[in-house]
Amino acid sequence: MALSPRYVLRETGQNLWRNVLSSAAAIITIGVSLWLFGGFFLFNYAVDNATARWEGGIEFVVWMQPDATAEQDANIRDSIDTSPAIKEWIYVDQSQTYEEFREIFADTPELIEVVSPDVLPPSYRVVPENPDADVVAELSDQFVGRPGVEEVVSADQTIRDIQRLADKVTRVFLVGSVILLTAATLLILTNIVSAIRSRGAEIEIMKVVGATNWFIRVPFMLEGLVQAVLGAMGAWVGLRVLDDTVIKGLSEPDSLQLMQGFRVDQGEFYSTSLLVLGIAIVVSGIGSAVAVTRYLDV
Amino acid sequence: MIKLNNVTKVYKGTVVAVRDVTVDIAKGEFVFLVGPSGSGKSTFIRLLNREELPEHGTIYVAGKDIGTLGTWRVPFLRRNIGFIFQDFKLLPKKTVAENVAFALEVIGKPRQVVRKQVPAILELVGLAEKIDNFPHELSGGEQQRVSVARAFVNRPPILLADEPTGNLDPQTSVGIMKLLDRINRTGTTVVMATHDRSIVDTMRRRVIELDRGEIVRDQARGVYE
Repeated sequence: MALSPRYVLRETGQNLWRNVLSSAAAIITIGVSLWLFGGFFLFNYAVDNATARWEGGIEFVVWMQPDATAEQDANIRDSIDTSPAIKEWIYVDQSQTYEEFREIFADTPELIEVVSPDVLPPSYRVVPENPDADVVAELSDQFVGRPGVEEVVSADQTIRDIQRLADKVTRVFLVGSVILLTAATLLILTNIVSAIRSRGAEIEIMKVVGATNWFIRVPFMLEGLVQAVLGAMGAWVGLRVLDDTVIKGLSEPDSLQLMQGFRVDQGEFYSTSLLVLGIAIVVSGIGSAVAVTRYLDV
Repeated sequence: MIKLNNVTKVYKGTVVAVRDVTVDIAKGEFVFLVGPSGSGKSTFIRLLNREELPEHGTIYVAGKDIGTLGTWRVPFLRRNIGFIFQDFKLLPKKTVAENVAFALEVIGKPRQVVRKQVPAILELVGLAEKIDNFPHELSGGEQQRVSVARAFVNRPPILLADEPTGNLDPQTSVGIMKLLDRINRTGTTVVMATHDRSIVDTMRRRVIELDRGEIVRDQARGVYE
């Protein structure tokens, strides 16, 4: 026998209203924990974007002039390739640089429109054998001012410090969100158990007249789901504020040079939002499932 | 319609509530279960709608061995059995009509069926005028009529009643019994546990007497004692 949507919505609404204070507590806890969880991902994305070119042990980048000759390019390549102090290197040509440019400025299509691959510099991204700052500085200096070289940029200590700080911050976000999500799961469970107890007489009647187990359980489970989805919606608002104020604020033109790549793409924001919703559904599913299987004897 | 073969029910391993009971109840019969408190009347009734399972023996309801029914099929068994409680068990925040409609809604009956059947059953039990009243606005007898309406609104072939007049005065009890008798005349099998001597003696229907879980008397057109 099919569940009547009208019946399910009415019963779920009544359950939520009867426990309005504890429902609000659950929604707020879920919202804050999901905000922390989503913040962990947004912060990670932003740090990754800011330090993308320094990942994989890359310590300095030799930017070539866009119009460097093949001979100048071959000289630099030969120096890098034969240096015993260099462990490995990657050549990023103009079209790959253009792809990176498009990713970085995805939010400003007007800028992408006026830039073409031929005006962007190719680069050599170098992983030295020894990542010590002095060794890296000495090695990178060998390429400064050579024909065809536009600029040599090193990953200085500040970037490494930022990566370490970001690691710590995101870890705090993650641990905090896991603790709060556990609390949120328990709150959902408690709310549903309380709703089950306050509706003991109705449940008894339902069992006697032949309501199926799922007919009895679904409104309670939906109650947990509604709390979780409302919490997720609150978290979305919080994440939008986090992105618009903190993350975008750090990457303002007048902020530190190395923070200017600190940003979150729309795609990354939406995938984080979906993940937050998914976690909300899982949390409510666990809380509801334990409540209706352990405390609802049907 | 109902058949028990050597049924024994034991609580907590030692308390024998029903002992080796064998009984046959035909379709359309009206049966009184009598006996002192603790004789096993309520357990007998709970066994019939599978609120309890026996330790030994088999129970057939409408041709089905309900002991072997899967848990998921129990609700479908109960849709064929109406149940009337001694304390009515009406939902205080629902009106008379909502209390009765609840029994149809929770088994997924469409709205148009609910709209049609609820006023009809309330007419049958004589509460058409009280359709929008809340339980606390009704007398005990009226509340029990609502309980009867809720049990019978789905037109089950079997009606179980556990002391339905236990909380009512004698005059009101007579009204409830007339209602149950009327329902029984539609072909519904009624099994009623009771302590009410005058009702049993007046109606002169089949009487099954239990004592310490055993059937000590099974008498057609019997009296209380």
